[in-house]
Amino acid sequence: MGESKVGAVLVVGGGVAGIQAALDLADSGFKVYLADQSPSIGGVMAQLDKTFPTNDCSMCILAPKLVAAGRHPNITLITNSEVVGLNGEAGNFEVKIRKRSRYINEDKCNGCGLCAQKCPVEAIDTYNKGLTDRSAVYVEFPQAVPLRFKIDREKCIGCRTCQEVCKANAVEYYQKDSEVILNVGSIILAPGFEPFDARLKSEYGYGRYQNVVTSIEFERILSASGPYGGIVLRPSDGEIPRKIAFVQCVGSRDAQLGNNYCSAACCMYSIKEAIIAKEHVPTKLECTIFYMDIRAYGKEFDAYYKRAKEEYGIQFVRSRVASITEDQSTGNLFVHYVGEDETPRIEEFDMIILSTGMQPPKDVEKLAKVLGIKLNKYRFCETGAFTPLETSKPGIYVCGAFSSPKDIPESVAQASAAASKAMAIIAPERGKLVTVKEAPPEIDVGQEEPRIGVFICHCGINIGGIVRVPEVVEYAKKLPNVVYAEDNLYTCSDDTQKRIREKIKEHNLNRVVVASCTPRTHEPLFRETVREAGLNPYLFEMANIRDQCSWVHMHEPEEATEKAKDLVRSVVAKARLLKPLKNPTVKVTPVGLVIGGGVSGMTAALELANQGFEVHLVEREKELGGHLKKIYYVLEGEDPQEYLRRLVKAVMEHERIHVYLGASVVEVNGFVGNFKSKILHNGEEKQVEHGIVIVATGATEYKPKEYLYGEDTRVLTQHELEEKLAEGKFNAKKVVMIQCVGARNEERPNCARICCGQAIKNALKIKELNPDADVYVLYKDVRSYGFKEEYYREAAAKGVLFISYSDEKKPKVTNESGKLKLAFWEPVLKQEIQMEPDIVVLSAATIPNPDNKRIAEMLKVPLTKDGFFLEAHMKLRPVDFQTDGVFLCGMAHSPKFIEESISQACAAAARAATILSKKELEMEGIVANVDEDLCSGCRICEYLCPYGAIEMKEKDGKLVAHVIEALCKGCGVCGTACPTKAIILGHFTTEEILAQVRAVLKEMEAIAA
Amino acid sequence: MAQGKLKIAFYWAASCGGCEIAVLDINEKILDVVQIADIVFWPVAMDIKYKDVEAMPDKYIDVCFFNGGIRNSEQEHMAKLLRQKSKILIAYGACAHLGGVPGLANLHNKKEIFEKAYMSTFSTDNPNKVTPKPKVHVKEGELEIPEFYDTVKTLDQTVEVDYYVPGCPPAVERTLYAIDAIAKGNLPPKGSVLAPLKSVCDDCSRKKENKKISKIYRVYEKVPEPEKCLLEQGILCMGPATRGGCGARCLNADMPCTGCGGPCPNAPEQGAAMISALASILGLEEEKEKYTEDEVEKLVTQIRDPVGTFYMYGLPASILKRKVMRE
Amino acid sequence: MSSQKEFEPKIVGFLCNWCSYAGADLAGVSRIQYPPNIRIIRVMCSGRIDPAFILEALKNGADGVLVAGCHLPSDCHYISGNFKALRRVTLLKKVLEEFGIEPERVRLEWVSASEGDKFAAVVRDMVEQIKKLGPNPLKMEAKQT
Repeated sequence: MGESKVGAVLVVGGGVAGIQAALDLADSGFKVYLADQSPSIGGVMAQLDKTFPTNDCSMCILAPKLVAAGRHPNITLITNSEVVGLNGEAGNFEVKIRKRSRYINEDKCNGCGLCAQKCPVEAIDTYNKGLTDRSAVYVEFPQAVPLRFKIDREKCIGCRTCQEVCKANAVEYYQKDSEVILNVGSIILAPGFEPFDARLKSEYGYGRYQNVVTSIEFERILSASGPYGGIVLRPSDGEIPRKIAFVQCVGSRDAQLGNNYCSAACCMYSIKEAIIAKEHVPTKLECTIFYMDIRAYGKEFDAYYKRAKEEYGIQFVRSRVASITEDQSTGNLFVHYVGEDETPRIEEFDMIILSTGMQPPKDVEKLAKVLGIKLNKYRFCETGAFTPLETSKPGIYVCGAFSSPKDIPESVAQASAAASKAMAIIAPERGKLVTVKEAPPEIDVGQEEPRIGVFICHCGINIGGIVRVPEVVEYAKKLPNVVYAEDNLYTCSDDTQKRIREKIKEHNLNRVVVASCTPRTHEPLFRETVREAGLNPYLFEMANIRDQCSWVHMHEPEEATEKAKDLVRSVVAKARLLKPLKNPTVKVTPVGLVIGGGVSGMTAALELANQGFEVHLVEREKELGGHLKKIYYVLEGEDPQEYLRRLVKAVMEHERIHVYLGASVVEVNGFVGNFKSKILHNGEEKQVEHGIVIVATGATEYKPKEYLYGEDTRVLTQHELEEKLAEGKFNAKKVVMIQCVGARNEERPNCARICCGQAIKNALKIKELNPDADVYVLYKDVRSYGFKEEYYREAAAKGVLFISYSDEKKPKVTNESGKLKLAFWEPVLKQEIQMEPDIVVLSAATIPNPDNKRIAEMLKVPLTKDGFFLEAHMKLRPVDFQTDGVFLCGMAHSPKFIEESISQACAAAARAATILSKKELEMEGIVANVDEDLCSGCRICEYLCPYGAIEMKEKDGKLVAHVIEALCKGCGVCGTACPTKAIILGHFTTEEILAQVRAVLKEMEAIAA
Repeated sequence: MAQGKLKIAFYWAASCGGCEIAVLDINEKILDVVQIADIVFWPVAMDIKYKDVEAMPDKYIDVCFFNGGIRNSEQEHMAKLLRQKSKILIAYGACAHLGGVPGLANLHNKKEIFEKAYMSTFSTDNPNKVTPKPKVHVKEGELEIPEFYDTVKTLDQTVEVDYYVPGCPPAVERTLYAIDAIAKGNLPPKGSVLAPLKSVCDDCSRKKENKKISKIYRVYEKVPEPEKCLLEQGILCMGPATRGGCGARCLNADMPCTGCGGPCPNAPEQGAAMISALASILGLEEEKEKYTEDEVEKLVTQIRDPVGTFYMYGLPASILKRKVMRE
Repeated sequence: MSSQKEFEPKIVGFLCNWCSYAGADLAGVSRIQYPPNIRIIRVMCSGRIDPAFILEALKNGADGVLVAGCHLPSDCHYISGNFKALRRVTLLKKVLEEFGIEPERVRLEWVSASEGDKFAAVVRDMVEQIKKLGPNPLKMEAKQT
């Protein structure tokens, strides 16, 4: 038993990171258990209103992932649970999990919510951060997955009303906690974070002053589904505030609290909240952000920061707030702080938001003890500089905010990365524990007259209490082609599924309509049911008579019943026209192509190879290593050159990796699963076939034009300094470093992310070599986010002087008769300082690889304005391109530290594995199709497709459009634009929708014609 | 077909008469027609009275080519009469098929049209505001003229139509195709448009490369590049949404298609099809972060006379058929 | 007082699956009440909404048509379908005006998955607005002829 491996993974934590890891693993052929302490998955992201820097609605982008995880045949959700025991070792663990009782039978509860409506208890709503009430029997939020209720026994008064009203008999008042033992090969920890308890900063008055709220509470206030319906109101009196302030670094960067780290996301989320607040408040709203450094270090973040300042007029005040006091008569607040001119000030606000930092979840020590993993001094998970995903225990991996504070895209990337690690050690077990559903052969209904069965749900009394369901059933029976109709207490229950299958057989139904809740949650279930009865799953259609009828017209039973009839009639009219659809499949060549042989490319290649896939790795230079070749130290102390040597060796020696040095990819054809590309190598073109592409083309250091660089040899870049330090050629006594050279300016508005860390690293190295050396760092903001903050502090403690400068008063470097002179403005002393440094070191930006443009065109993927590659979605798809089968990682995406590149590279490999692990890809059946007899080659559709799924091909000497089914997502934009309507979107055909339109408006005599 | 010569009729309803000329455009082929057919009714060319037609037995005429829409009572009467007397009724040309250019009158009603035509134009002198009346008493007796309707209808909105020959006027090849099919007796299923399935783009030899446009030019504002798709040059061309089979003659003369061929077979409506297509590609390149509803408004305002553009021939055949008139 | 019932407009709503339809569902889950005048037709993306659908709805007597999609610029599940909807509806409204139909009968709204209250407010407002406009003039005409 000890030697055998298990093809299953336990993911602990069901936030966005845990969900992503679970989906990647499950999509790659592994069984996944996704455990979360809460009664539903979603984590903190489910509470957010919008996300930066795109202001996407958080729930809109998260909900599809929740549903995907909830429905995945290879993912088992174990909510309301905790890990209590672990045995075994990497590859074969035995995990004991305690499931806390919900007091509701999960299998019976169908989430109808009647219990919560009738529950007489008002309890604090934790989802809305205590700003509203909920009942004692509850779900955390309406989109909760799994949509199963839970009784809060601490609040419950035991009246048993819920038990009486529950038509599903799901309430189990004496349900006990239970334990399960899981056998898994590896474990991923994604327990996330919890916001710092702002009460501990008593000087800010949180908990005492009603109008001091935390940032997460403010997210709820901003949210349309929040306590005030998206209207910004202050809690004390429900007034619309006119002047609000954000106080940064609450619980972060705070030595007194021992939280000597930066929480990495707060600057950006505060800017976002300020922007959204301004958009929400119709009258003028003044927003001020009190900050120490604005850490807008991520991709496109600075542009967002700039917009906040310039377009939205948000005020930024550099100051650590000393305290907050309240005017008891008005509830207004006074912020006490020291201005940039060092004078104490007091400013009055209507409301204050504390940007609370991230800290590890409270029970994390217990978890660490059970699993035997080490935590760092802040109780985050301990990881290495080059092993960001590995915990101290083999076989257990970490991702998300638990390894260090981070924002959503980095958590998502790490989640995929951890999935890659978790699957590599059990790669041979792939596919062994997953369930493959067998369905009976499909009945051919092609030529038959439609025979429609209609099933109308009471949903307990949710529908039936308002809509007169039996009347709707009788009505439905008279509709054209309806041969059977009935009502059900719960159409979604297991026994009704059985009944639907029986009725299909009994009445030879060839179309099925269910009128109940919403297709968004239940369509997949019913499709499965009709499929099990031998019908094509697309011969099913749903009418929404609960969420969009009975629930919103609760006091109008007459109108609601009429509306339900209209909706059923409309959907039946569509159902008459439904056609079976085939889910297209494409074969997959299980080979990867990685472009770029730096640390990212090598890591990605190695990960894929370790998972059992063949890889072609193409590097432009004569040797592997890329940017890493020039890095001699890292802040955390490890030796990057040693790491590089090991990595290169592993890559070169790997039997499944083919390395092409001094080579380039010159042509890429095909699509996901089936690429054919040409590699130019040693003057010869070699053709390779592969299923995916990973772009890891890296970036380069900007060659400054500023500050006498290139004219005076005493002006160096950080890389050049690092090389000197490494070679022992460094002996300067007075060093000035200038930050943001070639970044955060007109030409390149965004931050280059890594230069602050570089400067601190090199400053510390200089101090290590010569403690008496004077080192000055002239900066705009010191962006030592996460645990790098510690080194900033260490440098400051060792006497490195950090002096801020602004764009208006940039430092000046001159050569006066051979003497290197530097002048800068000292903002505290308010005077210009002259000095003669031995060397001036420029923290030069990291800029995109100039070859990106060519590669982008070749792969038909987009670049940002700055010239880095642009991923599919900045939040949730950080390493995917919009084009399926093409991924990116490392500095091709944006500047980043080594461990971040490693994480992204592993992530890209995991995402690629979801494709390469399949013999063939099965696509969703709802895709566009071209009728070549009608397509006239106008090419209107071609560039509309955001997925590049339309290509023109030749037919009879003329061009016609062709949909690459493998890339089509079924949005229908092309067919709607098609002026000849030669493009037809399955399941949403023009004919079907027009029939629906006519039917919904006309009485049934009219549609029978 | 029946033994002996075919009996053919031609009729001219609400149209400009171009279709009559189009019949002659087939040049010497007309002789072939005469070889196989007798023309039994053709008011523009032959002196045959309505009463002669009325006297014909039902289905006496083998094929009737009916051009023009239905805008007055006489046309309606003749449509019904010829339907009764013909085995095959063909809506010949855009007006019979779709309503045609006269169909644009559906943006007005009889009252407005009379007011314009008989009173308010610059060259009209009509102090007594006399407008046509169906019946007028004069000293010689009662005069009758056809009643003018509020709405122009297509032929098939009036009587059942067997086939359609599209075009304004129909291209020679369309007429020949119809005659050939009739002569050989291999007509497609009833209700067919006697044209290829594809759009004008299929006929058009201009190069189509990249359909993203942001500026729209009117025909006189730009000398088009000779070989490039006009729409790609910002010149509004209805070709993509218009049934072809015309040889793209307008495009060959550097003029955009104005849509006389009518909708493509799958499209519910020609106008909507073009609106959707054009709006999709107009400003496609500019779609980005800061793309406001105002900017879209500006983009769209570039299109002058939208109904005239998208429904030049097809207003009576469109989904809404006409403008809603209010008192 | 007239014994005739007050005019109750019929509104057809075309909603994208990912944001607006989800927002309409959320209105239900949150039990936000709105007038029962709307009939929703679900499409996957607002970019699937063909001007012909809107015309067909009007022709068949809809007093108003709501087109709702994901917020601009980047909420669209299919990246940019909402932009297509915006342009198509804007252009169609120009055409409708020429057809003598009040463009206000067709309304384009961005409703996110978390805006149940906004969805309800849009419906409420639209019902009010269309009550003021009166019945679809095409219906009146159909009765006359």
